[in-house]
Amino acid sequence: MKLLITTTFLVAFGSVFAQKSENLLPKDAVSVFSIDNVNLLQKISLDDLVKYEFMEEVQQELFDGSTSGKTLKDAGIDFEQRINFFQGSGKRFRVTGFTFGIENRDQLFEVFDDFHAIESDYSGVDFYESYFNRIAIRGNSAVLFRVQGHSDHVEHVTDSIWYARGNDYPWYEYQYDEMILESLQPEDAVFDGNETIENTNSPSENNLPQADEDPTQKTYYELRDSVELDYHLHCVKRLCDELFLRNESLMLEDERFAEQLTHSADGIFYLDLERSVGNERDMKFLYTYYPNFSVKSEELYAGSIVLGDMKILDNAIELDLDVEYGEKLGPIYNELTDTKFDKHVLKYIHKDNNAYFTQNVNLRKAYEEAYDVVMPILSNSERSIAASAIMIELMDALVDKDAVFGVYQGSMFGAYNGLQTVKTKKIIFDYDEETFEYSEIEVEAEEDMPVFVMGFTTKRGDVPEKVLNRLSKIYSKMTNMEDYWLLEDVLLGAAPMYFIIKNDLFIMTNDMDLATNHPNGYGSEAIGKREAKKARKSGALYGHVDAGKALQNLPRGIFSDYENEMIDVIRGKSGTMEVTSTKSVETSTSFKLAYQFEGEYENSGTYFLDLINSLYVVTK
Amino acid sequence: MKHLFSLLVIGLLFSMTSCLEIIDDLSLNGDGSGMFKYTVNMSSSKVKINSYLALDSLDGKKVPSISEITNHIDELIDELCTQEGISNVTFDSDYNNFVFKLKLDFASIDELEEAIKAIVRKRSKGRVDQELDHEWLTYSESSLNRSIPRMNFERTNNLKADEIADLKKGMYTSITRFESEVASFDNESAIVAKNKKAVMVRANPYSLIRQTNLLDNTIYLEESAENE
Repeated sequence: MKLLITTTFLVAFGSVFAQKSENLLPKDAVSVFSIDNVNLLQKISLDDLVKYEFMEEVQQELFDGSTSGKTLKDAGIDFEQRINFFQGSGKRFRVTGFTFGIENRDQLFEVFDDFHAIESDYSGVDFYESYFNRIAIRGNSAVLFRVQGHSDHVEHVTDSIWYARGNDYPWYEYQYDEMILESLQPEDAVFDGNETIENTNSPSENNLPQADEDPTQKTYYELRDSVELDYHLHCVKRLCDELFLRNESLMLEDERFAEQLTHSADGIFYLDLERSVGNERDMKFLYTYYPNFSVKSEELYAGSIVLGDMKILDNAIELDLDVEYGEKLGPIYNELTDTKFDKHVLKYIHKDNNAYFTQNVNLRKAYEEAYDVVMPILSNSERSIAASAIMIELMDALVDKDAVFGVYQGSMFGAYNGLQTVKTKKIIFDYDEETFEYSEIEVEAEEDMPVFVMGFTTKRGDVPEKVLNRLSKIYSKMTNMEDYWLLEDVLLGAAPMYFIIKNDLFIMTNDMDLATNHPNGYGSEAIGKREAKKARKSGALYGHVDAGKALQNLPRGIFSDYENEMIDVIRGKSGTMEVTSTKSVETSTSFKLAYQFEGEYENSGTYFLDLINSLYVVTK
Repeated sequence: MKHLFSLLVIGLLFSMTSCLEIIDDLSLNGDGSGMFKYTVNMSSSKVKINSYLALDSLDGKKVPSISEITNHIDELIDELCTQEGISNVTFDSDYNNFVFKLKLDFASIDELEEAIKAIVRKRSKGRVDQELDHEWLTYSESSLNRSIPRMNFERTNNLKADEIADLKKGMYTSITRFESEVASFDNESAIVAKNKKAVMVRANPYSLIRQTNLLDNTIYLEESAENE
């Protein structure tokens, strides 16, 4: 019995405290993509993996030939553990990397061959270092990370030391002195064209800030390099102390993240909006000049977070995202989505569209709620910000909000109908057979153009109608065609645009067929009831993309070779992407992205990474 | 002259292989002086060009803005104006239809060729020096020989199918005018005007890229009464 209890205890202890890669996520991580179904990625080549943008921070040293032709499996990765890609930005440094399990350390360093072992100050942790990155291995889990101090902090420290040593302003342009002296020369000192002038614009040693005449003293740049290196080491030490001495990791610091990891999903997504907003580079400017305003603005995001589950189904990938708000933002989003769906928009979405979206929001209600939240922040901020609050109060009192929000209440829609041939004009040259002299003639032509329709709900269609009528009287290219307004040669210098005001909608399109034949809607040619119902039932947002058709029509030229490679995988194959959302409640809004593909696919792991990469690009 | 085609237009061919029309119009006086007109017409692709200009980059390369293009052309025109034997340089640009017209007078064929070579030499930074040794235009009192530079054509090996299709829709027209009547010419594709004082050769840009001698021609003039 005693043995049984001991064994049970040991097994339980082992399972609880078994090393897991997620335990090595630094607490500074602001966003994390955690892949549980690592087996899915076994076949993905490392060469392909390092091309993703979420690998950009660590890829330089990995993508050096040592990964050529190898897969994650060849790299000694333990597929029983998660791979967690992370990035984070503190007030003074940025950290990126990924954590993973190790099955075979020798294989790992065959691939990561730029790394060499270094002395470790942490018991039970092995360190490897390359020029930019470090790998720390504890048990059979590892974290590969890169830490970079923010340059403005490095420069701030450098400046402090520089001036403390009695140096002058490092960026003074001494050539200004010469220019001033030259301007004081008598006017008869005329420039002799034969003289040679020294080119002082090109970079030269003279322009580098000098410490002093003593060659043993560092120049400004040398000093900054030293500060940067020292600060880098300080940041690395701080991160390692937190992880390996004090056992502070994201898992233990944020229970929302830990809870998300318990979901049965192939991957999870985590973005701490509160820290993400606070660490934005733009906020540093605000912190410097408007500290009160900055702190109060940041408080708006307190408790806001985005959590997501990624699931791989048969020929489909689904992403469920929950955007959770704090107590200040929550009511604003709640009011924003408190509106009825405008079913008129569905009349203007053609059943053969390539892609469309509907957005269903109530700006008036959101404005009223935001006004109550934002005005106290502005009023209690620094004087210049507080002064702007007066303007907003005046506007609020004097402007007819019923009219403003009657014209644009926030609900809108858009559809992309692929490429269509549109009428344009071109110049041709007509030759005289007698002399081969030629003259210009303008003739009708046709060109392919992406056809779209966009519109928004308006209860005050009379306002844009007045504007369009007035424009059609004073502007020759604008014509009132009764059912619509025509604006000629406006799109890409060649194609016309049409404006329609019908059914409490203001619509802009370059689709002549819609304007001339269907100003009241497509009727039976509009999207079917089933699709319309999906859009109606979705909360704030609904989007649908026919991946095969939409991507087929996209011009290759606007994408890089790598992006085209990724798009080529989908080109020519049928599939759909669909975004749905719930109505916001006090605390959250839920979104769902479903990517459904048909046909044979070599490796659905790449689609999974594509999705992760898209999230990374959107959230970085 | 054809080098100007290479310099100014081939770049456009590669970056926006839309339907393109070029007219290369050389008028030669009896004393060897003359007028040169060069017209690039991309109006049938203005939607495509406008959409490209709206982008930051295309195929990984930065797309220049209209003002950058204008500045670049202005620099070329300024350089042309300073070349010996070149005068009355004018450049008309229509950015609504993307039609561009260069017109200049030259004192002699040699000076025209040398002016263009000087600009190409400066701009190409040594990349096409070998080709610059070649004479594209030679004129005697009774004949004119024209040929086309061969540089840069290796770049066209990587053209995509849709780019090739666009190039095939384009047209390059080369016109050579004389004061006296044309007696004969070597290029079998060429045609002569009814007044017998102008010769025209046409080819689509794709064919021209694949076979660079399509526009080469030696034109023989009738002996004038004075010479007789």
